Amino acid sequence: MNILVLVKQVPDVEAIIRAQSDTKLDIENKYALNFFDEFAVEEALRIKEKLGDGKVTVATLGSRKAADALRRGIAMGADEAFQIEDPALEEVDGYTTARTLAKFIEGQDYDVILCGKQAIDDDSGAVGPALAQLLGIPCLTSIVELEIDGDKKEVIATREIEGGREIVTCPLPALFTAQKGLNEPRIPQVAGVMKAMKAQIAKIDLKALGLSPEDVKPKTKILKYYPPKKRPPVKMIEKEFPKNVEALVKLLREQEKVI
Amino acid sequence: MAGIWIFVEQRDGVIRKVSMELLSGGRGLASTLGEEVAAVLFGDGVGFLAEELSKYTDTVYVIDDPLYHHYSADSYGESLAKMVRECNPSILLGGSTFMGRDLFPWLACRLATGYAADCIDLTIGDDKGIIAKRPMYGGKVLADVTFSHVRPQMATVRPNVFTLKSPDGEKNGEIIRIEPKINPTAIRTRVERVEKTSTDRVDLTEADIVVAAGRGIKGPENFHIIEELAEVINATVGTTRAVVDNQWRDHDDQIGKSGKVISPKLYMAFGISGAIHHTMGIDTSNVIVAVDKNPNSLIFTYADYGIVGDLFQIVPALTAEFKKALSE
Ligand SMILES: Cc1cc2nc3c(=O)[nH]c(=O)nc-3n(C[C@H](O)[C@H](O)[C@H](O)COP(=O)(O)OP(=O)(O)OC[C@H]3O[C@@H](n4cnc5c(N)ncnc54)[C@H](O)[C@@H]3O)c2cc1C
Ligand SMILES: Nc1ncnc2c1ncn2[C@@H]1O[C@H](COP(=O)(O)O)[C@@H](O)[C@H]1O
Repeated sequence: MNILVLVKQVPDVEAIIRAQSDTKLDIENKYALNFFDEFAVEEALRIKEKLGDGKVTVATLGSRKAADALRRGIAMGADEAFQIEDPALEEVDGYTTARTLAKFIEGQDYDVILCGKQAIDDDSGAVGPALAQLLGIPCLTSIVELEIDGDKKEVIATREIEGGREIVTCPLPALFTAQKGLNEPRIPQVAGVMKAMKAQIAKIDLKALGLSPEDVKPKTKILKYYPPKKRPPVKMIEKEFPKNVEALVKLLREQEKVI
Repeated sequence: MAGIWIFVEQRDGVIRKVSMELLSGGRGLASTLGEEVAAVLFGDGVGFLAEELSKYTDTVYVIDDPLYHHYSADSYGESLAKMVRECNPSILLGGSTFMGRDLFPWLACRLATGYAADCIDLTIGDDKGIIAKRPMYGGKVLADVTFSHVRPQMATVRPNVFTLKSPDGEKNGEIIRIEPKINPTAIRTRVERVEKTSTDRVDLTEADIVVAAGRGIKGPENFHIIEELAEVINATVGTTRAVVDNQWRDHDDQIGKSGKVISPKLYMAFGISGAIHHTMGIDTSNVIVAVDKNPNSLIFTYADYGIVGDLFQIVPALTAEFKKALSE
């Protein structure tokens, strides 16, 4: 079974991020493999381990520190890594990313493709479904369970929906996006980290994919960044119990009118 | 024929609240642009819903067919792509739900057009294109996104962004039935069954009022005090990751970065410390109330109203007080 995991290096959840100007962000230098992509890598490794054969490939589109996502994937146990890098890919959106990744995948033979539910930088969750569409393979998003029948090339997956779960079957090859709950990602061992440090990462540019800069022009444009609205300072209700409870109920009903 | 299309999501014959909100919001955008509004409804046995929708829109496109009983991008996406190509709407909107966030990016790619996910506002710019406001980096920044040079302009919108308004006078829109023309074998994903995890309460993402307890609740056996409060004020119950990790509640109830993003009118947090991963999920709540025994809890830097106290004392008293007030 050939498994591909698409991974992205993103600012850590804790990183401080501010709008520096209308079009530029000031991002603290704290990056990590996308939270949801860890579940995707872990699931790929588990499929390989369970079926007892196969190969896990990790790939990313991005320059410089993007390769750290690949190294993390290798440290966890991935066999092979590719980095797609090109000056024309400095500004991308979900469409561009999917289009470029699709070109990279075309002609290769993957049974399972895994993405994260969303990248916690753009928070779009667009690349997975878009990529599946371009590749013409089925797509199941936000999965929390995956069971693969390697012989029949079929899967049964559980996706999270509002107020419940949907149990869905589909044939392989297919693409899945990982939601938290799918598994517990492993922490890389020292040997894995050493291997990752030394690993060769194959680099691919647009030309090698047969794409021109024109092909990967984003469809969307960010006009402006700005900070979220500041919440007003808290009003502490200092009265003794039970007067404080009475005061709160009164506030919510008469002033805020939310109940 | 341009126009604003709203993809109306239904499950089991019930239209999602966010879809109805979008019909209201869509009417607003349509009057700014001088365009018409259409609803697109897919399902099995949903004819009666089409009648209902015709009160709100100029046109209702409906596919009512057993093949559309469950959602699949293979069926819903292909049909919608065909319809969009024929009618060329300028804008296509849907709810930021699990279905919407599966269908819209798939379809946007199929149509080679632009898509903005999980928007918290939509306005019309000088060039008559949409300006979509959306949170990024877990809400640490907001961005205005445009894609006015492509058609249709596609966006998914969070619940509680637009307010529900009944139409001024019924529109009596035209209902247009579309034949699916889809080969059953083209639908490759098959829903075997649906397991409902929650009660009959509205989902966290769409709730007007959410009450949540964190690790301060001490154990699953104590959640009944939160449930009782929720019952009285008609709220949905949520929680933190710490509670879910302890398996006191399902992941379905988790609010935050790796759970659900909520935008209720009122959010009440009990025994929740207010870690950034949690508050990322409540950023667009209107009024936030926090009760915690630690006066230095981070949650108090975030809330509108705070009470320092023991939740085991406060919650039952609050339930009783609301009960009293609401029966007056
Ligand atoms: C990548 C990542 C993603 C994450 N995603 C999420 C997410 O989606 N959602 C989420 O919630 N968390 C998430 N977390 C975890 C988050 O960082 C916090 O650990 C978690 O939110 C803490 O939960 P808590 O507030 O219930 O528990 P605690 O931090 O332990 O807080 C318990 C609070 O209860 C108070 N308390 C105790 N007893 C009482 C009492 N009797 N009366 C009143 N108050 C009392 C305490 O003073 C304290 O403030 C994530 C973390 C990481 C690293
Ligand atoms: N630049 C990228 N390189 C590789 N994979 C990506 C990239 N961007 C997004 N993805 C994958 O697509 C998922 C969703 O990303 P997004 O649509 O940006 O929210 C991520 O979790 C990754 O699995």
